[in-house]
Amino acid sequence: MKSLSAELVGRPIALSNSLAALTDKIRQMAKLLFGTPLNAVLSVIFGAGLFATVPPMFRWFVFDAVLFDPDPNACRAAAGACWSFIYAKSGQLLFGIYPYDERWRPALVCVLIIALLGWSVRPTSWTPRLLQVWIAALALVGWLMGGGFGLVSVPTSAWGGLPVTLILTVVAIGVAFPIGVLLALARRSATMPAMRIIAVVFIEGIRGLPLLSILFVASIMLPLFLPDYLLPDKFVRALVALTLFASAYLAEVIRGGLQAVPNGQYEAAEALGLSFWRTQKLVILPQAIRVAIPALANTIIVMIKNTSLVLVVGLFDLISSGKAALADPAWPSPAAETFLFIGAIFFALSFSFARFSDFLERRGRISY
Amino acid sequence: MLNDAKGRAIAIQGVLIFALVGFMALLFTTTVANLEARGIPIGFDFLTMPSRLVISESILSYGPRDPYYWAIIVGIANTVLISTIVIICSSIIGLILGITRLSSNPLASGTSKVWIEVARNTPPIVLLIFLYSLWWKILPPIGQAINLAPGVHVSMRGLVMPAVDISLQSIGWGLLGFAGLLIGTHVFRRFFQRIQSFSILALLGSAVLGFWLANVSIKFDWPVFTGFSFRGGIALTPELSTILVGLTIYTSGFVAEIVRGGVLAIRKGQWDAGRSLGLSRTQILRLVVIPQTLRIIVPPLNSQYINVVKNSTLAIAVGYPDFLAVMNTTISKSSHSIEGLFIILGVYLALNLTLSAFANWYNRRIAIMER
Repeated sequence: MKSLSAELVGRPIALSNSLAALTDKIRQMAKLLFGTPLNAVLSVIFGAGLFATVPPMFRWFVFDAVLFDPDPNACRAAAGACWSFIYAKSGQLLFGIYPYDERWRPALVCVLIIALLGWSVRPTSWTPRLLQVWIAALALVGWLMGGGFGLVSVPTSAWGGLPVTLILTVVAIGVAFPIGVLLALARRSATMPAMRIIAVVFIEGIRGLPLLSILFVASIMLPLFLPDYLLPDKFVRALVALTLFASAYLAEVIRGGLQAVPNGQYEAAEALGLSFWRTQKLVILPQAIRVAIPALANTIIVMIKNTSLVLVVGLFDLISSGKAALADPAWPSPAAETFLFIGAIFFALSFSFARFSDFLERRGRISY
Repeated sequence: MLNDAKGRAIAIQGVLIFALVGFMALLFTTTVANLEARGIPIGFDFLTMPSRLVISESILSYGPRDPYYWAIIVGIANTVLISTIVIICSSIIGLILGITRLSSNPLASGTSKVWIEVARNTPPIVLLIFLYSLWWKILPPIGQAINLAPGVHVSMRGLVMPAVDISLQSIGWGLLGFAGLLIGTHVFRRFFQRIQSFSILALLGSAVLGFWLANVSIKFDWPVFTGFSFRGGIALTPELSTILVGLTIYTSGFVAEIVRGGVLAIRKGQWDAGRSLGLSRTQILRLVVIPQTLRIIVPPLNSQYINVVKNSTLAIAVGYPDFLAVMNTTISKSSHSIEGLFIILGVYLALNLTLSAFANWYNRRIAIMER
């Protein structure tokens, strides 16, 4: 087939050339779909399945759907999806119960975090400055969300929607990463048995429990365990629970990476007279983390998805604000559309991170 | 002392232990003081008291007069039920998806790819809530239940299907026959080794013999619509069905990726080597490829199965009473939070360790025998 198209390239008449290429393509496609008996069977099964499901879904999604009509009765009359609800309620869906007049603040926070994430994925911005920029940005985020210093103060109990999801994700993973590195090093420590035991108990204890049970402990039982002067508010408690949970999982992934670094590397670093921390920072961790990138990315994606669980302990994340918006009696409560919208936001976050990790993996491979 | 590596190590650990013990002591004294202030005694006596909890559905029989410990066992049974069904279904669907993902057929691999990516990149809780909302929206009321297959009806009130009632007249004889045949094949294995797939025949044979000796009667209990509801058969509520379907979709995406990775890890040279030994295609699959694939996929599959047990706690999002939900109401009703915490810790540890032990046993069986 290849020789055929190669022969055709030399022909002067462009039309017959493209026609031949087209038939070539069709023939190739037909061979792929029906070339072997197994492929033919698969094509029929999957083709029938797709034919039965995709057109009705498409009709519901687009043709029968109400797109922008602000009248709720249009949705009641329509047979398809009610996207105008999402459009009309977008403020409430994205920002929850945040005071209406102050909504520009969480909006700015979302733009800031997403822009900074986008900026951070470029290899050219990976300098020590990046960390300082992030710390400054998070301080700004805290001020914008919480208020004070000239802005109306908003308690964390009124925070809601997308900014909550983004803040929980970024801060929990950002803080959990260094803790995870320390835990992994402690667990592999040969000279400090007490440190190793503490790390093992912490990591295995957290990994043995579902995140929900840890969130319950943090939000419901902690007031019983901690004196009032040490007790942070509900948002911070959930954030700490997420961080500890993530750090235990990240620690195990990083430990796997550390195990892949051969002993000769430690010996070489020692021969150069490097101290423990300089050995780790300059020699061991860069290699260990590079090996662990795929597993690290998987863990981080799980954490992005896990932030959605804070709904169960009464934090106002995307799902809770979706449920609150659905409670409006003026609208016909289009739950499927709302949760599709929320699912799409989470999908965009984790899917783009997965692509970023693919990029890192390829880049790491080339630089060797 | 601080310049000496050993001394420094001891000093650092000393400080760490001191800080940790101090923190624990603070937690302990605060908790004791708080409990005393509220007049709650510490102890597991409350477990035998009547719970008065409401558990909306369970596979074990439960009434509000039953004691707390029985309510907790009912919750554990619900968690085990969800986990078992989800693990079995997602393994089968994941295996199919993982293989079709590798197919050269663009329709098959494209569909699997979309399924896998959506399943892996959506939070399970969003998936569950979405499916639960669909359940009420697209399914008809019970009077117009959709008949999916003979005896399988689906409506807003849930899924009804025929129950299989297997009664064993003499279970002892059956087991004896089954065991006898298995031992027999084991003893004569060397003798029968030449005969291909003899072991499968023996297993089938012993099963048939066991059934025959046990004098099994199999009865189907068909659901019948009585005007208001279905009578007979097994009924799955919308909550349970949502969890089973949602978690299966979610987990199957991960299983598919593990299977795909395992198959891709077997190099082409293994096929060539098998062919040069004169093995047939099925022989290569059975003797060369599948054993190596299993070796690669069992450890990650095990951690996926443990995740299923943990994810079953999401049942709370649709209001199904799993173990954690029962514990949550137990704690808020009885105020025994410390004891409750220990029970939660112990049960999940036991469940996960059981799964791990089984996987490790299986892993050892299929591991490389190095001499």
